[in-house]
Amino acid sequence: MHPFVKHFINRTIVLVVTLFIAFNISYFLLRAIPTSAVDTMLNAIAQMGQRLDPEEFMRMRQTLLELFGLTGSPLDQYLSYLRRFFTLDFGASFIVFPRPAREVVLRYLPWTVGLLLFTTVISWSLGNILGVTVSFAKNRYISRFLENLAIVLYPIPYYVFSLALIYIFAFLIPIFTLSPATMPAIRISTLHDLLNVVIHLMKAASLPAISIIVISAFGWWFISSRNLSLVAMTEDYVIYARLRGIDVGRIRRDYVLRGIMVPQVTALALALGAIFSGALVTEYIFAYPGLGSLLYQAIIIGDYPIALTILSLSMIGVTLATWFLDTFVYYLVDPRIRYAR
Amino acid sequence: MYINTRIRVFIDVLKSLSRYGRFRVGIAIIAILIALSLISLASPPRYKQWYVYPKDRPPQLTSSIDMILGTTTNGRSVFWIMVNALANSLCIGLLTALIGSHIGLLIGLLAGISRGKTELGFILLIDSFVVLPGLPILIVLALALKQSMTIHTIPLILSVIAWAWPARNVRSIALSVMSRDFITIASFSGIKFRSILLYEVMPYVLGWHLTNFINTIIWAIGMETALAIFGLSILSEDTLGTMLYWVLNFNALFRGLWWWILPPIVLLILIFIGFYLISVSVSTYLNPRLRGGVA
Repeated sequence: MHPFVKHFINRTIVLVVTLFIAFNISYFLLRAIPTSAVDTMLNAIAQMGQRLDPEEFMRMRQTLLELFGLTGSPLDQYLSYLRRFFTLDFGASFIVFPRPAREVVLRYLPWTVGLLLFTTVISWSLGNILGVTVSFAKNRYISRFLENLAIVLYPIPYYVFSLALIYIFAFLIPIFTLSPATMPAIRISTLHDLLNVVIHLMKAASLPAISIIVISAFGWWFISSRNLSLVAMTEDYVIYARLRGIDVGRIRRDYVLRGIMVPQVTALALALGAIFSGALVTEYIFAYPGLGSLLYQAIIIGDYPIALTILSLSMIGVTLATWFLDTFVYYLVDPRIRYAR
Repeated sequence: MYINTRIRVFIDVLKSLSRYGRFRVGIAIIAILIALSLISLASPPRYKQWYVYPKDRPPQLTSSIDMILGTTTNGRSVFWIMVNALANSLCIGLLTALIGSHIGLLIGLLAGISRGKTELGFILLIDSFVVLPGLPILIVLALALKQSMTIHTIPLILSVIAWAWPARNVRSIALSVMSRDFITIASFSGIKFRSILLYEVMPYVLGWHLTNFINTIIWAIGMETALAIFGLSILSEDTLGTMLYWVLNFNALFRGLWWWILPPIVLLILIFIGFYLISVSVSTYLNPRLRGGVA
């Protein structure tokens, strides 16, 4: 069998098992909520001044009961939750009442995906390039400095660092204003619209993006790429290339950086869940209009449809992204898988 | 006699570790933090009540220690909140590491020594928990269990996710040790499998277990903070996370109450850096190939 096919099948099995475990954990946990919790929740909603006519009230109660898998036979409950989990159909939201939760969540999604994609690509590339460069100049003062900086920055979660950033850049030296970013409808028909959206995005996203990029580029990606390339530099093929008198720049780029791509892609795939979690909290702290802020509102109000939609969506999304990275991007960077027959 | 040599080995390891500057700094930071958290034992019972002290007072020196870091908007002494929060957060981290990293050690070892279908099963289980996005799962857990959470049950919740990374690490170490010659020699010379595992493989794994342990502490404190920021930790208790929650909730950032904002942020950063410095020096000590970079 072609090694890529084998790799693909392996990864796909992991994907399916991961989704299955994630689904079961959330299902059995939500079953742990007793039935009376539903009535408590409805009372809380009624107290918040939401006017509901009795018919709608009963419908909401029904949705909530179904949501927690409390109607029908056990098998029915399981299957209905399974369907909801994978179609993200958790009924109407409470925050924007008659609207389906899925619709609300999907409107916030591009913001989160955009921020995550942008910061991850930048910090991963920057960290890797810096790590390799520094390991070639091991004894320079600047590389010592960067190394120590990385060791201090790496263990700090984004959201703690972002609080420090807000304190410095929005309070002590007010460069960035910290008004909650409003969300224009993303409808791009002309070039002008596109420009507007980009400018708006820059305004809303620069501080959270900086906090994520600084921590992960100068933290983990820098440290791991430096460690990997220090090891790679002692490999025979690199020493041979040096003895042949190949230009140092080319060795750095085509021999060492290229060589550490394979483990680094795997590391990125494994870290994706953690990156996502950090970004969720960071978004809330910066009042960035993404899934993090929405999730916070949903939890505070007790909007279970929206909370569950976001949670299922993020579990499915992160595992799918991990699977994609670990099969297709891995295929691109690992010649052993690409060229073997 | 046996215990004596063990202690001597332990002291030797400590001595060679303390040659790393990073290890010394890390230990110093953690020692200071532990000393601070021990002060919480002396906290007056009224520190938990709201509006005992005047509101929003900046730090001032008075005869008692209560006002040294000012007070919060709900009229509590920041100093006493801080030391108690520190003690609780450290406790959460330590308990999670005690539970999670040991489950990880056990499953990692089992996965490392099993072959065939069982091995495949273990790999699948570990890999799926590793790529599982932790925060969403923990939020579901916290939503379901919010009523029954205490400082001592949060670690149980966190451990559901925490064991996976250590298990993965232990498995790879166990695999590399099992493939070495001395294990083959040991098994050919008729030593029981259990003894091989305990006396030949374990010593190699234990060092890594220590770094896993420390990393789990860091992870757990970070995760508790993330949950607390979303309001899903135990808001009636003080942890560094719930302290941040109240800071954000009362908009202390924009009202310029720096004496309330800075303590949790500074302490969290110190905890993360302190433990990480220790973990990094232990893993450098264990992995000679990386030693090149450290003075």
